[in-house]
Amino acid sequence: MEKKRANDEFEPGPILPSQSVDRFEFIKQEQNSSEGLSTSRSANEHEREERRIRKWRKIIGVGGSDWKQYVRRKPHVVKKLIRKGIPDCLRGLVWQLISGSRDLLLMNPGVYERHGPGQRSLYNVLKAYSVYDRDVGYVQGMGFLAGLLLLYMSEEDAFWLLVALLKGAVHAPMEGLYLAGLPLVQQYLFQFEQLVKEHSPKLGQHFSEEMINPSMYASQWFITLFSYSFPFPLALRIWDVFLFEGVKVVFKVGLALLKFCHDDLIKLPFEKLIHALRNFPEDAMNPDTLLPLAFSVKVSKRLEELQQEYEKRNGGTLPKAGSTNRLLQAIKHKELSIKPERSNCVQKDDPSPRILH
Amino acid sequence: MSYAYLFKYIIIGDTGVGKSCLLLQFTDKRFQPVHDLTIGVEFGARMITIDNKPIKLQIWDTAGQESFRSITRSYYRGAAGALLVYDITRRETFNHLANWLEDARQHANANMTIMLIGNKCDLSHRRAVSTEEGEQFAKEHGLVFMEASAKTAQNVEEAFISTAATIYKKIQDGVFDVSNESYGIKVGYGGIPGPSGGRDGTSSQAGGCCS
Repeated sequence: MEKKRANDEFEPGPILPSQSVDRFEFIKQEQNSSEGLSTSRSANEHEREERRIRKWRKIIGVGGSDWKQYVRRKPHVVKKLIRKGIPDCLRGLVWQLISGSRDLLLMNPGVYERHGPGQRSLYNVLKAYSVYDRDVGYVQGMGFLAGLLLLYMSEEDAFWLLVALLKGAVHAPMEGLYLAGLPLVQQYLFQFEQLVKEHSPKLGQHFSEEMINPSMYASQWFITLFSYSFPFPLALRIWDVFLFEGVKVVFKVGLALLKFCHDDLIKLPFEKLIHALRNFPEDAMNPDTLLPLAFSVKVSKRLEELQQEYEKRNGGTLPKAGSTNRLLQAIKHKELSIKPERSNCVQKDDPSPRILH
Repeated sequence: MSYAYLFKYIIIGDTGVGKSCLLLQFTDKRFQPVHDLTIGVEFGARMITIDNKPIKLQIWDTAGQESFRSITRSYYRGAAGALLVYDITRRETFNHLANWLEDARQHANANMTIMLIGNKCDLSHRRAVSTEEGEQFAKEHGLVFMEASAKTAQNVEEAFISTAATIYKKIQDGVFDVSNESYGIKVGYGGIPGPSGGRDGTSSQAGGCCS
């Protein structure tokens, strides 16, 4: 397959038509060469170059697919070829192949492109949070909160809003949404199940018979505070209220949705029920219809009682992360100049690969 | 639609191995290259035929990240079959299999049929786990094994169906008390009630059937 072209390197250099700048935008040196010969020689040269490129292409394969195998089989040939110079039009690809960077790229698809401006902001906020709060780290679901916040504020502001929510600057801390085992999600699901039974007893009964529990349809509501799969205008309206009034609005909206669709849901068997609970009709998702209904649902008192009941059942309050108290004190003393303790972080889970998939 | 049996499945494995894509390929026969992150659980269902009998599969697809296990664990109970998925291009997803298996063994019923799936076999140029290693792991732990691709649909049908065939055979062998729904099996209205020979106590190995 490999034919020796030993005379290649003894050929005089190509004589190019006179130009002031080469392809690298370098100004060319004047070459004193004998005229006359140049035309035929450059034609020869051109043909040889073409052959060389064809050969290299064959070795490399489409997009570099054959390269590794060829190198393994004939390392000496490759070495010699490279010493003669890589054809310029293939140099970029070959450099990537011989350095191994091509493999890195293939093994990490999207890692580079992902870091476009929007993605980078999201990454920065989540990374900052995971460094700031090592007890929580990065948990899938947080990205939806951060993404929503970034539409309306800077990275730094979004970061602090996330901190305020999870550490409880105004309302009760919600870090339990993302602590190991998602303890707060479990508590919310318990509370929600009870509230469904109390507010829509027939539907609650139907759910029990069909073996439907809230983890099947409402986990996402709580984990992402409706920022995962709800229409944006509705999610934003809910967030307006959520930030001011706290998490009880999530329960209210959830109960309102079930009430709104009550007559349909009560007729459905298991599979259709699951589908319906994940795909509410458009008119139910209209904020001007749903929110007034949600505000009419009273839950505050029962939520508290149910929380106590849940804590009693599960032996005590939710585990709290160590940093909570320190932060709360800092907030109370208005000493909010908190810096990450160390710059090199060990994370539970890196936020980069899975954001907004 | 009536079925002879209903089998409940759970799909487990590390985040990003393609659990949701396998389910989508099986239920909708399509591939979504950029799939939404699974938060909590997702659900899918499809009818298949085993031994000329219509069998309904109800499948819970779970979030892979460690934090979510407290939620997904409750789905082990009442599952007759599990698809344990890793990504052949990411070694760590294979290394975590023992961990997943421990979780399954702890929370599922002992007769749950587990199918090990090496997903993304269309990306063989990026392979980080050999087929032999997958086979070896499956053999050691009494699992059925297949490499599959949710993208090309290769072995996707086979994985779900051969799991069902294994469960079906266990029913025939009387391994399950099918009237007890906690095994993740339900006898349908159009179905033939119960195993032919009743419970004889012999349990078949999970690796018995398939491709």
